[in-house]
Amino acid sequence: MSTIDWVVLFATLASIVAYGLYRSRGSNTVDRFLLAGKTMPWYAMALSIMATQASAVTFISTTGQSYVDGMRFVQFYFGLPIAMVLLCATVVPAFHRAKVFTAYEYLEQRFDSKTRVLASIIFLCQRGLSAGLTLYAPAIVLSAILGWPDRVTILLMGITVITYTSLGGVKAVTWSDVQQMCIIFFGLIAALLVVIHLLPQSVSFPDALYLAGAAGRLNAVTTRFDWNDRFTLWSGMIGGMFLFLSYFGCDQSQVQRYLTGSSIAQSRLSLLFNAVAKIPMQFFILFIGAMVFVFHVFVQPPILFEESEAARIQASGQYGAVHEHYAQAFDRRRQAAQDLVAAHHAHDAAAERQRVEQYRAAQHDLDGARDEAAKLVAGTGGDTGYDDTNFIFLSFVTRYLPVGLVGLIIAVMFAATMSASAGEINSLATVTMVDLYRRHFRRGATDHHYLLASRWATIFWGAYAIASAGLGRKLGSLIVAVNMMGSLFYGSLLGVFVLAFFFRSVRGTGAFVGMLAGEAVVFSAWHFTNISFLWFNVIGCAVVIVTAVATTHWFTPGQRART
Amino acid sequence: MPGLREVPDEPPPFLGTWQNVYGAVLIYLLLIISAAYAFTRAFE
Repeated sequence: MSTIDWVVLFATLASIVAYGLYRSRGSNTVDRFLLAGKTMPWYAMALSIMATQASAVTFISTTGQSYVDGMRFVQFYFGLPIAMVLLCATVVPAFHRAKVFTAYEYLEQRFDSKTRVLASIIFLCQRGLSAGLTLYAPAIVLSAILGWPDRVTILLMGITVITYTSLGGVKAVTWSDVQQMCIIFFGLIAALLVVIHLLPQSVSFPDALYLAGAAGRLNAVTTRFDWNDRFTLWSGMIGGMFLFLSYFGCDQSQVQRYLTGSSIAQSRLSLLFNAVAKIPMQFFILFIGAMVFVFHVFVQPPILFEESEAARIQASGQYGAVHEHYAQAFDRRRQAAQDLVAAHHAHDAAAERQRVEQYRAAQHDLDGARDEAAKLVAGTGGDTGYDDTNFIFLSFVTRYLPVGLVGLIIAVMFAATMSASAGEINSLATVTMVDLYRRHFRRGATDHHYLLASRWATIFWGAYAIASAGLGRKLGSLIVAVNMMGSLFYGSLLGVFVLAFFFRSVRGTGAFVGMLAGEAVVFSAWHFTNISFLWFNVIGCAVVIVTAVATTHWFTPGQRART
Repeated sequence: MPGLREVPDEPPPFLGTWQNVYGAVLIYLLLIISAAYAFTRAFE
């Protein structure tokens, strides 16, 4: 990176931290530290919710996904608006009226202490596992650019986040999120404009759309039903809805954002803003990846996008043959693309059909050459099943974007990571302090004591996230890994909240047994079947409800007598 | 540790009732899925 890029990067990051801390003055009581004294306006909460969900993983991995697999991933968000409407109608007013700090505190009011503790522990397991992944993403950024060890980057990012989160609490998190989302929007728009500008002069924007579509990169909607396909209209609408109901209704990292609202209406508006804005935003990010794909139809991409692995496989005896195959396959695809555009312009339908087939065959051949290179990674001491999806966008940014914009895009990655990580650490600390420490270990202490405990819990979870960040390297596409981890736990959490709101006869023991059964079934499905992870949310939720209702029915004498 | 303050409920700033706002969001979802489907078919 140039000096200007470094100045842009550090100036952006410093301004984010300074602004967050400036806006968080007065966070000197527990309710101000954890819930901003319930004073936040809807737009701040809305952008904070968006920022907490959109980690650097979203930008690194989503663009890579559309480069290799097209835009199908957008369907994952089709269930989001339905989930938001349901939450606004039920959960948001209920949580506000119950005057709770955490979603799990509500479960004790409705059921009992053991159900609250189990839900809190499930949350801590799930969010604790992904906290490390959130920090790992920018480590990829700097290791790709500077050759820095991942650990150094993780440490720098983690310490920055711990500093402003432990000092300013949820207010610092929220206001820095607002600034981060503004930078993210600006950076993404700039990136798309530059990608389109970098296309060869002979390729117009409609041509680029045509080539991306012919290669299956604009396949936003898949209507066929397939249990094993991760991204279809149905898995997105149904499985995605359940996932987002769980995420925004039962995950403290999101619940805490909208519990800071100055009124129930403000909290509702913050969620509904996300219901409207999230799908276009994801579509936009995926579209950037599709345009990067078209750019690389004409400009040869590296055989592997991760430089260190590309350098490593050069030591292999087979590298020469693989690289030659790759170069020839690239030339064939470029020629096929040019022929296809020419046939399209000539309105020659028969030639167009023929050249589409040639273009797709050339793409298939190129993919095969990349697969051969990926196999060389394992053969030279690297990971088996090597996947460089997460490096595609960053490789493009550092090689082809102009000076200044590189620094801004890298700042976007950092900003996204810091916002997501801060939200996670803040919520993990809140649940640890409110649902476990204050409830079971130290009751009746002073407000100052709990404020200190909250700050220490923040530092603890920040340190834990830093320590567990190295797990990311083993998990392939990070965006999928993060959502899959969530799906292992969210179904059970959602199930117990559905019971709380809609099954008035179910009591604490039924809910507790239901949650245990839900987790057992979901982990079995993950281990023994190939069912797409989005369905785990549906399965987990259904098992919790059925088990809890059955348990209540069979073990409550009054209930049995009535049937 | 003091309890949390009560927060008020208010009508939405537009469309009159929350039910109308929810309905508008769901109609928007239908439109956006239709647009995404049309986009897919147009460039298939």
